[in-house]
Amino acid sequence: MSNDYLDILAKFGIGGAHPGGFPLTKQLLEKENLQENMTVLDLGCGTGQTAEYISTTFGCDVTAIDNQLLMVQKATNRIEKTSLPVHVVLGDAQELEFKDHSFDMILAESVVAFTDVSKTLTEMKRVVKPKGCCLLIEMIAYQDLEEEIRSTIAEFYGVQHVLTEDQWLEKLHESGFTNVQVIPTMTTLHKTEITDINVSDDIKLEDYDLWDKHAHLTEKHALHIGYRVFRCCI
Amino acid sequence: MSGPDFYHVCCRYHGKPVRLSCRDGRSHVGEITRVTRTHVWIRPLEGPRGFNYGFYGFGYGGFGVPFALGALTGVALASAFFW
Repeated sequence: MSNDYLDILAKFGIGGAHPGGFPLTKQLLEKENLQENMTVLDLGCGTGQTAEYISTTFGCDVTAIDNQLLMVQKATNRIEKTSLPVHVVLGDAQELEFKDHSFDMILAESVVAFTDVSKTLTEMKRVVKPKGCCLLIEMIAYQDLEEEIRSTIAEFYGVQHVLTEDQWLEKLHESGFTNVQVIPTMTTLHKTEITDINVSDDIKLEDYDLWDKHAHLTEKHALHIGYRVFRCCI
Repeated sequence: MSGPDFYHVCCRYHGKPVRLSCRDGRSHVGEITRVTRTHVWIRPLEGPRGFNYGFYGFGYGGFGVPFALGALTGVALASAFFW
């Protein structure tokens, strides 16, 4: 699977690179009753903006994991500038290295859609505590996509499927999440103001070409793809 | 070449709002109004989105504020769609 899109996000080092951006992250976390003694997993942490925020704001024990080395390096650099107890690790969401029932909360901000969804959800269900919960912000298709659109999106973003809301709910239930809420948000995709950026010095004009291609694709298919926030408990 | 040729990147985004990251660690947001081989000019964005950013006193009726291309570490659009 191609991951050009995730590669350019890593090279530009953009924080809050998911639908709704960092403002949505903060808005969602405010409604959770996070306490200092809780353990939180930031799955697909990117450059670590959310992990840093959770540690600073709520004092939780935060673990941040990403499968891209460049993201892990940028997240590590960010955390090293603080004295926060955030553990940043390189790892695969589909095969988590953590013991069963390790986390009170798992946050996946536009991450699961880029993986084998069933595998990752099964792993999330395994490592979340029985009374914990998972928050997912994920790409959805408004209805089943025509093959041409599906293959364009799948190829460019390196996703296997673009699931509809109902298909996500089905996968979540199959993975063992029995209590799933769809949190109301602005459902159409809006531009996110970029406020957190850490550009690699080997960035090339081709990376800007990919960026522009992504922007073009997203605008072109705005009537077909959007996002949802799922709050999932066992 | 270390990094891209920011001249071409700035030309590409002429007229658009961008975020410039500079070697001193600061970053600046504005619309690109002029690009030469050595400098890029950005004008702070006005309006309710609150992009205005430390340019007080410059009087930005013209091209805005110049930045040496050599002092830049990154140029990106100020806002974008993300998945």
